[in-house]
Amino acid sequence: MNYLLQQIINSLGFGSIVALLAAGYTMTFGLIGLVNFAHGEVFMVGAFTAYFILTILKLPFWLAILMALVGSIIIGLLVERLAFKPVRGSGMITLFIIGLGVSQILRNSTVMLFDARLKGFTVSGFLKGVYMLGEVIIFKKTLFIFLTVLAICIILVYLIKNTKVGIAMRSISYDTQMAQSLGMNTERVIIITFIISSALAGFAAVSWGYIYGSVHAAMGVHAVVNAFVASVIGGVGNVLGAVVAGYIIAIGGNLFIAFLPPDLVGLRPLFVWIVFFIILIFKPSGLFRANIK
Amino acid sequence: MEYMKRSNFIIKYVAGISVIIFILFLMERLLSGFWLTLFMLFGINIILAISLNITNGWIGFFSVGHGGIMLAGAYAAAFFTLPVFFKEGILDLKLPSFILHTQLAFLPALLIGGIVGTVVGIILVLPALRLRGFYFCAGTLGFNIIMETIAENTNGPMGLRQFLPYTNIWWVWGIAILVIYITWMVKKSYIGRAFIAIGKDPDLAEHMGINLLKYKLYAFGLSAFFTALGGILWVHLILNLFPKAFNLILVFEVVAMIVIGGMGSITGSIIGAAIITFFSDILAPIEEGFSLFGFNVPSMLGLMTVLIGVLLVVILIKKPDGIMGEKEISLGFFKKFLRTKQT
Repeated sequence: MNYLLQQIINSLGFGSIVALLAAGYTMTFGLIGLVNFAHGEVFMVGAFTAYFILTILKLPFWLAILMALVGSIIIGLLVERLAFKPVRGSGMITLFIIGLGVSQILRNSTVMLFDARLKGFTVSGFLKGVYMLGEVIIFKKTLFIFLTVLAICIILVYLIKNTKVGIAMRSISYDTQMAQSLGMNTERVIIITFIISSALAGFAAVSWGYIYGSVHAAMGVHAVVNAFVASVIGGVGNVLGAVVAGYIIAIGGNLFIAFLPPDLVGLRPLFVWIVFFIILIFKPSGLFRANIK
Repeated sequence: MEYMKRSNFIIKYVAGISVIIFILFLMERLLSGFWLTLFMLFGINIILAISLNITNGWIGFFSVGHGGIMLAGAYAAAFFTLPVFFKEGILDLKLPSFILHTQLAFLPALLIGGIVGTVVGIILVLPALRLRGFYFCAGTLGFNIIMETIAENTNGPMGLRQFLPYTNIWWVWGIAILVIYITWMVKKSYIGRAFIAIGKDPDLAEHMGINLLKYKLYAFGLSAFFTALGGILWVHLILNLFPKAFNLILVFEVVAMIVIGGMGSITGSIIGAAIITFFSDILAPIEEGFSLFGFNVPSMLGLMTVLIGVLLVVILIKKPDGIMGEKEISLGFFKKFLRTKQT
């Protein structure tokens, strides 16, 4: 029982990253049908910004979080403006190939400018150490990140349900042309959505650095695949569903490995795709209802 | 009259084949080292691009999982072409003994690999039954990762080594020209028109009496067979099999070929293969850094993938149909072109 509980608590850290990425992912997915495979690279750029602030310049951690958000937002908006906007409305497959191309460009540029090796990430002092709950170990950093993600999630749900911007987002996701003809500035709403989703990726990037202690150029690949599957499971466009599905995927993946014989640990990437195929075959609309909610 | 026509036909074929053999013979004599390898890589890229075009361009199921098919075919062929003492010794493979103790020539191994690839490719039809459009695309992405993971966990992440250099210019270009010829004939036939009809509108095609399942099976089987052949030739050219090498970056290059060349066009695929081969292999030495007139250009690994990505994005934004669109360059095309010039 303790083993099971320990596994679940251990996967909360990665779960938070996947949940944040999936929430950002599902918003652009639901809004303009964009399958943003470059989201993982937006995440990676945020992590590198935080790495420069924390490890090389040795500045305080709140500045690192702020700069990671700024870096992610700048890259996210640049990608939207230069690559996705010119082809908006030309089908999901075109958008998918463009996203793939952009993610290759950003990842390989990072490898070119820096290199592909792991880069150590300084963890701030107050996040070091553990809490003991009986025999279960809880890392302070995991708890901090989990609570922050919960707060972010509540704010996000409030934003989408009750504010003017959120209502605009929902109406665009139902019918873009109708929203436009009613005088809504869809361009502005799309940019706001990109800013929110990139900012979530930026915070996820700092969490990744704290949890794993290092960043590298290919870190976005694994995370974005998990986030994509989480957004499909949660129902496309459903932010709360994506967050819950992100945690489900991380915990499920960890338990899958924990109860498998040790020489099959390499099969970890299979779990996500098995879940993906089962969901798409038996419940294609996802576990929760679709459209931005 | 009928007799004359048939003899004309035969003369055309004999002349065509002898010209091709002469060119290949000349190439074999003239080229060596880097340029010979490059010429063979160009042929392999043509095979991969044309076979991917069958599923992605014609029947409209955008697959990014062909790396998995290549991997399966290459593994199956490698189990038969590797020398027996390597299989038992350094590589320490855990295989049934009848595979462990046989070593076949290249042609039977090629056929076995092709058949295994076809079987794996037909597995891809299963998601194609339920998923459409983008979801199929994501499913094949998962298929690629699943195949890669399984390969890494059967023989370790280092894969296989100690291949015999079977691939030569005759194998590569013989198969490439066969693939071009077969796909050209298929495109002109009833089957090819059925493929393209499915790609344009699956529901309408079904109403016209086209059996969707049957033609999906044909398309995926044909595509997977050629892709597996391409994978086997590639592995026996670079002489090692590394499961990570079949990941999304390889598939991305092949996708870039058909998107740049034009989806659904055979000549477009060939042009795309030429462009990507030029980028990823001729310009590759630049990545390692060099000195030009006393300036030291530092090494920039990954530069070529960046350039291919930029090219792909620019083509998709400025000319979404690619260079050729769905048109083909053939002899008739030239004749029509000249005729319109004269009048």
